[in-house]
Amino acid sequence: MTSPSEQPQRNQGKDLGLTLCPSCQQLMSHKATHCSRCGSTLAFRDYSSLQKSWALLITAAILLIPANIYPITIFTSQGQTRHDTIFTGITHLIDLNILPIAVILFTASILVPILKICGLTIYLLAISFRLPISKKRLMVGFHVIEWIGRWSMLDLFVISITAAVVNMGQLLDAKPGPAATAFALVILLTQIAAKVLDTRLLWDRLESQDDTNRNTESS
Amino acid sequence: MKLLTEHECADTSVTLCRSCDLVIRKRALPSSVRALCPRCHTPIYDAPYCSLNGMLALCLTAIIFFIPANLLPVLELHFLGSIRTTTISEGAMAVANQGYWVVAIAVLTSAVIAPGLLLLSVLSQILIIKYRLQVPFFRDILKRLLKYHGLLSQLTMLEIYMISIFVSVFQLTDYTDIYLGMGTFCFAMLFLVTLFLQREYHLEHMWSVLDD
Ligand SMILES: [Zn+2]
Ligand SMILES: [Zn+2]
Repeated sequence: MTSPSEQPQRNQGKDLGLTLCPSCQQLMSHKATHCSRCGSTLAFRDYSSLQKSWALLITAAILLIPANIYPITIFTSQGQTRHDTIFTGITHLIDLNILPIAVILFTASILVPILKICGLTIYLLAISFRLPISKKRLMVGFHVIEWIGRWSMLDLFVISITAAVVNMGQLLDAKPGPAATAFALVILLTQIAAKVLDTRLLWDRLESQDDTNRNTESS
Repeated sequence: MKLLTEHECADTSVTLCRSCDLVIRKRALPSSVRALCPRCHTPIYDAPYCSLNGMLALCLTAIIFFIPANLLPVLELHFLGSIRTTTISEGAMAVANQGYWVVAIAVLTSAVIAPGLLLLSVLSQILIIKYRLQVPFFRDILKRLLKYHGLLSQLTMLEIYMISIFVSVFQLTDYTDIYLGMGTFCFAMLFLVTLFLQREYHLEHMWSVLDD
């Protein structure tokens, strides 16, 4: 046990028998099963969320492969048909000298999904295997991942607008390709994986390790 | 900061961080300042002040723009004398007709359904708080609406759709003549008004209305 005066920051809700309602942020005793204000079921810690999050993340990582190797748009101009994957679509934009749009699409469709999957993997590994990574840094990264994740939707919106307006048969035509569904699922699954995770687990788990270290140092 | 006793926690001057479970003593904040968790930087609370009438005005304005934003074309394509236009829903339908219904649902949900439901939900919340808060039936409805508010605002992606329209225009200028439709103007207004509405709206404050 650490004394409160030495470690004021170690004062967690679980030490006081308190928990926060997940939907309305009402402070409740951890013995209560339902929130007094909104009636939500209270979970002191959701230990199963780690497994759910892993399962969703692994599925998303697998789907990232078809999302990148199959064509995402099929574009016909004057009888010639191009099958563009996410990557060749972006290189094509660079060839056309539309660099700003290429940068936006590269960030939204390639950088963000990869950063998200790698970031979440590091985060889950840190909880599951108690890796010695700065918790503060992990948590800041997690908030960034939560925020940028939705921007991947950009490519899907662009595809739907283009497919609807560019529809002139052999002369000019745009259609989505098989990668579109895989890509949509990658966004969806990674977003849910971050959402279901009970982030308090990170602080609990690494906390106990820190405490054992401190005890061995002091003894 | 000293260790808090159980007695002290009974009052409302203390809260927990929802990300890392740290106990935080609440202090009075000037308005438009947000308290962040000192340990993990999650936003914890802010000085909740919503002007109900201001929100009502913003909400009604947004609903007025919502209708033309969805009915008028967002893009017009002029090609060999013929004109093609598309609205947001037609865009979603076009990909659904090709068999990509996962994409269609994603587009429809984040650009049409979630923003629409969000505006209706906020409107009902304001009206209940203004006129019907004492009736148990309406209190119950308010509770349900508040519970789903977080989900709805996360699914709302107006800003991303806005950027997508401009990206599409730039992508297509090399092949054909493309123009922004009236729908784009209404959509941009809808986006701006919704942005201000979401800045004005504080979920925590709405919950606290139920307390007294
Ligand atoms: Zn609650
Ligand atoms: Zn925190």
